[in-house]
Amino acid sequence: MNAAASNAATPQTCLFEAVGLQKEFDDGRVQALRGVDLRISEGEFVSIIGPSGCGKTTLLQMLGALDHPSSGELKYRGKSMLHGLDAATYRAREIGFIFQAFHLLPTFTAVENVQLPMLETTTKASERRERAASLLKSVGLEHRTDHFPAKLSGGERQRVAIARSLANQPSVLLADEPTGNLDSENAVMILELLIRIHREQKMTLILVTHDLSIARQASRMIEMKDGRVINDLRGALRP
Amino acid sequence: MTFPTIIVRGLMRRPVRTGLTLFGISIGIAAVVALVGVSRGFETSWNVGMRTRHIDIVVSTLGSGITPKPFDASVRDRVAAVPGVTDTCALFVDFTSVEDSPMLIVSAREWGGFSWNHLKIVSGRMPNDATEPAVVLGRTAAETLKKKVGDPIQIDIRELKVVGIVDGGALVENGSVMLSLDLMQEITGNEGRINIIDVRVKPGSSEEEIQRVCEAINRVVPEAKAMSAGEHIASSEAYRFVQAMSWSTSLLAVIMGVLGVMNTMLMTVFERKQEICILLAIGWRRRRIMLMILGESALLGLLGGMVGVLIGVLGVKAIHGLPGIRGLLDPDLSPRLFVTSVTISIGVGVLSGLYPAWRSSRLTPSLALQG
Repeated sequence: MNAAASNAATPQTCLFEAVGLQKEFDDGRVQALRGVDLRISEGEFVSIIGPSGCGKTTLLQMLGALDHPSSGELKYRGKSMLHGLDAATYRAREIGFIFQAFHLLPTFTAVENVQLPMLETTTKASERRERAASLLKSVGLEHRTDHFPAKLSGGERQRVAIARSLANQPSVLLADEPTGNLDSENAVMILELLIRIHREQKMTLILVTHDLSIARQASRMIEMKDGRVINDLRGALRP
Repeated sequence: MTFPTIIVRGLMRRPVRTGLTLFGISIGIAAVVALVGVSRGFETSWNVGMRTRHIDIVVSTLGSGITPKPFDASVRDRVAAVPGVTDTCALFVDFTSVEDSPMLIVSAREWGGFSWNHLKIVSGRMPNDATEPAVVLGRTAAETLKKKVGDPIQIDIRELKVVGIVDGGALVENGSVMLSLDLMQEITGNEGRINIIDVRVKPGSSEEEIQRVCEAINRVVPEAKAMSAGEHIASSEAYRFVQAMSWSTSLLAVIMGVLGVMNTMLMTVFERKQEICILLAIGWRRRRIMLMILGESALLGLLGGMVGVLIGVLGVKAIHGLPGIRGLLDPDLSPRLFVTSVTISIGVGVLSGLYPAWRSSRLTPSLALQG
């Protein structure tokens, strides 16, 4: 569903609802999530912060239907993500992923990387190409469309990855340490780009980081420790 | 960008490995083309030889050996007396080395028999009578043996003279050394023995009629077997053994190809584990991932098949040019064989890709967020 359209109709729709969410690995020897209760509304910009191993990336995996919780309930727009959603369709149409290591495919050019998610949703090759080019233009990379990832700088690669995450007009952007592999100048640029997209397209942005200064850019900051939410701050967070 | 582009790019990631795998399959397919083409070609050229001599039925003891076992020459009279038989010609045929040539057909024919009639003299003449110590050579046999009219030629332990070079109208005939039956019997110590009787029936007889004559001959000649000319070589145990060897050697080569492709595709899946997880994370269905891997292995098969056909054809041409083989083979390099070979190769690709494709579809997309 298009974020802008749905947001205009019901600006405060509950997008995600987690109740007692738990995730165990290694036959229960590792407990990544120990009962997370959470509600995220449509159009929010939420940062999730915490030290390494606190469960923030695991929570992001659950929200993106990359993995199943061991117990508890997780709903998207009121539907159970375990039983009511087709994970592949959900990932293709509702979610845009941005990774710390960019994860562009090296054998495809920038414009081809952006087209990859569209193979599941857009039949016409010309439409895919056109939309990918327009997305690259929107992130300021119209001059780099036919470059392979190896020929792009870190900041440019992440901008291609952001364009790819927007390929199917998702409702939610899930960003896992999106500035973690960038220098400070590029980190600021990427963060500004994400905030701009969130504002202009009224898109829900959930950003995982361990950097407090980045987390404070969000309108809501969830702090995690040992697999639990220990703080949920809303409002103006900038120091 | 289309889905096939993605498949092609997958193979281009590691061009050297792709090239080596492709070479592996192509060797297997080349073996299919060469071995099957040669064995089928042998059957075809043998049958053409039969048709050229207007032979309807062959009576022989063609069993597991490459040449038929000799039997008493009086069998010919019993065959000639069978109703429906219009003409017969007794022969003593041997596959043997002649001078420097490792394998030639030495075909001794009853003097005055119809099996001499279709031979056209290219140079020289025919032997004067059944006892003249002379041979005529088929054109290819003359080239292979580097003989011309007037040259001596050693058959078994006797030195004979090449008196003529002939065109027999068929590869088997042109690759033969021909002499009179009486002379051959004397040279080899097989007086009164023959090993083949060529039989003609009434012109225009149907296959059923020919079969009935065969059955009638078999009733009166228990020491040999009558078969229609078309069945003769195909039913030979030696030929069937050669064919089985061709297919089993080809199969072995193809199995090596399967293992090569499977190994490559498994390595691809392991190497691209994270990439596959990223594709799953951005919304690709598992089915599409499987199709991508299967597509890559099928494309490897297709390309390997095409290269294999090319190598096979070149290999067969090279074998065909060898001095000892030239007169014996007219390899069957028909489009049907090429299509069969490429189809087998694509099948090899798909088969080899099944397990890697299944493995790839089992990966969990959460791996995309690791590393």
